[in-house]
Amino acid sequence: MSTPDPFGILGLDPRAELTDADVHRAWRRIATATHPDRPDGGDIAEYTAASAAYTALRTAWGRGEARADLAQADLVAEGPTQPVWLSEPGPRPPGLGPWAAGRVRACWVLPLRVRHGRPARLVVRAVVAAAACLAALRVCAGDPAGPGLVTGIVTWFVLSGRGDLAPPPGR
Amino acid sequence: MTVWSWIRLRIYLWLLVKALKVAGWVLLVVAAVVLWPVTSVAGLAFAVAWLRGWPPVRLARTALWALPMTFISTVDRALHVHSWRALVLAPVHTWAASFHHLGGFHLVRTAVLLGPVAIPVGLALGSLLWWWRIFAISSGHAGWLASAPFTFDAQLWGRQVRTARGRTAAQGLVPLLARHGRIPVGGTIRSVGHGWHPIFSVPATACNRHQVFIGATGSGKTNLMMRLWAGWFRATLESSGTTGRRPALIVLDCKGGLDARQKAERTKRLLYGAGARRVAIWPEQASLSLWDLPPGDLAVLLFQMIESGDGAAAYYADIMQAVLMLATTAPVGPPLSAAGFLDRLNVRWLRVAWDDGRHPSEVDWIRAATKHMPDIQLRFVTLLQRLGPGLDGPGNLADADVWYFILEGTREPSVAEAQAMAITELTAAAAVGIGGTTEGPTSANTEPKLMLLAADDYSAVSGRVPLSNLYERGRSLGIGMQVSAQSWQGLGADEDERYRIAATADGGIWVLETPYPEPLSGLAGQRRVLDTARRMAGVAWGPDGTTQERRAWVADPELIRRLEVGQACYIHHGAATFVQVARPKPSPLTLMYQPLPAEPVVPPPRRDPVREPGPEPPPVPVQLEDVLGPGGPW
Repeated sequence: MSTPDPFGILGLDPRAELTDADVHRAWRRIATATHPDRPDGGDIAEYTAASAAYTALRTAWGRGEARADLAQADLVAEGPTQPVWLSEPGPRPPGLGPWAAGRVRACWVLPLRVRHGRPARLVVRAVVAAAACLAALRVCAGDPAGPGLVTGIVTWFVLSGRGDLAPPPGR
Repeated sequence: MTVWSWIRLRIYLWLLVKALKVAGWVLLVVAAVVLWPVTSVAGLAFAVAWLRGWPPVRLARTALWALPMTFISTVDRALHVHSWRALVLAPVHTWAASFHHLGGFHLVRTAVLLGPVAIPVGLALGSLLWWWRIFAISSGHAGWLASAPFTFDAQLWGRQVRTARGRTAAQGLVPLLARHGRIPVGGTIRSVGHGWHPIFSVPATACNRHQVFIGATGSGKTNLMMRLWAGWFRATLESSGTTGRRPALIVLDCKGGLDARQKAERTKRLLYGAGARRVAIWPEQASLSLWDLPPGDLAVLLFQMIESGDGAAAYYADIMQAVLMLATTAPVGPPLSAAGFLDRLNVRWLRVAWDDGRHPSEVDWIRAATKHMPDIQLRFVTLLQRLGPGLDGPGNLADADVWYFILEGTREPSVAEAQAMAITELTAAAAVGIGGTTEGPTSANTEPKLMLLAADDYSAVSGRVPLSNLYERGRSLGIGMQVSAQSWQGLGADEDERYRIAATADGGIWVLETPYPEPLSGLAGQRRVLDTARRMAGVAWGPDGTTQERRAWVADPELIRRLEVGQACYIHHGAATFVQVARPKPSPLTLMYQPLPAEPVVPPPRRDPVREPGPEPPPVPVQLEDVLGPGGPW
């Protein structure tokens, strides 16, 4: 958005019930008081800011977008108390680089991805993998083939289990 | 040589040949039995590949994925034996020991112990065998009957379809966007020329170019396009996350009807899931202002929206165009609404606006057009009434990330055509950053806005603006274009135009079920295949035959004709991939955490552009320009 808080500039509360007429009235009040053609020269900076704010808020879509921007700014200022940042590519937890933030996101959403994916299939797959691992370790007791087979079974589980997870947020 | 000795010689030769063959097979069987851990895995892999319709490359990749198992096992063994020789011979000793204990448990134990080595080797061997089988059958070297290649291919196709459907059922495998900015489309059925992957995906950048979709009604075209829209939007959003420039998706549903409303709602839900902040459905939930266009473009557009003819009509059309130019480029600024525009189609208004002493020639033009002015105003009153309030504001394209325009191209073709022209102009203006965005004109050091313009069933409104023109327009503006038609014939008015559109689709051509795919298959080209003809000896194949090269379709028209609902063929760069398209669904996690979208905008009540006849038009324009100067946001 071009203005940081267009509601504040026009002296309006960012309410959802605001109408086009409310915004227009607020802008007219400031525009008539600050217009450069006034005998006292007006206030060009305030007039320009008010005009830009009016442009941003004159439609319901624009007001909704401005409210969303404000909500996002508040969220970033408060820190990640709610997991909204998980779905957004822009903001991320403070103090983390993009790669680390991505890993944290991935770990954070994993239980949710399991829950909203196909958990029953995943459980069956996990049980089969666990049973196969146990059987391999028992049959290969003391033989180096055991860890190798466990690696193979885990690889299979990871590769085939991806389809049973819900896609990550935004995907 | 007597006849008897000749017969004996022939018999001996025949026996020798058969003995050699039998010996070869015996040796092969012995080797298979001796190397039973490897051959068991290979046989199993071969059978699974046949039953699932996997290509050989799938087995080869599985063999590669099994190598970490071999590596870990080898490292673990190396830590224990401390000798290269013992390390290398350990599997051999395990294998040899199995022959001392031929009991069931010991065989299983040997198989398990040799697994880290036998599995990758067996999978690789199975891959080779499967590749050879496919080659031998398809080239006519193998098979009992002459119809073997067709039977084999039909069986394989059925299994490939079944497997692809299974893959698309797993939402985790077909998200809206995969890694590296690729858009997963669905499970791969068959790939000819493209690299095979279980899930077929296209790069999101392909949507920034030009794509063509051909498919009959109900063939799954909309699902496919929606998946691409969502994937493109998400990919573009992520790639522009740091710059803050949001992508814009413009969809023209040119057929309209109740079905279009349902599609629009689905698109809306999907795009919210893909990260869109606002999805506007026009004309029900949002409106646009035609009057945001630059004055010159506005005049040209208004002129084009009115039908004009030749001869005397051409003279009249020139006068009309001059009046439009005068009305839209008046010194006080462009009109802000339909009512304001109609007010300007008045001699007195125009004279007052232009007669400031600096525009004498314009005043002369106004005088010359005086007697035509009522006719011109009447024509535009009618036009603007038919267009409806959806283009009379408020709102511009920057108000939403996604605009879904529903044009009633089936019910009211002429109105839909005019609306399509206006929306295309507004999109073009937004693409270059004027009249429709809040970002101002694009300058040399700023990146243009990334836009995708998708025209679904554009043929319904292509009477005034041919699809090829729209296509070229999009190309010149640098925006992605997607156009769809129900058939090859619906793509353009004549064969030249159709080929012009399809042959320049550098983002790829998507063909769904359609009865006439030959021209599109022709664009995909042909490939070289081997064809073997063998001579029959009695009821079986004889030893004689010839193999020759022939050409076959890359995108087989017969296969395309038999595509079922939801199946598509993607033609790009002389290769084709048949894919089972997955129904697009946003991740449930996205919908949990996305902020709720704003309430949809209800368009203002319809304003009748016809003014009550007053005694006199106002002497000067009574608008805010008079008080605060021209060019303001009012």
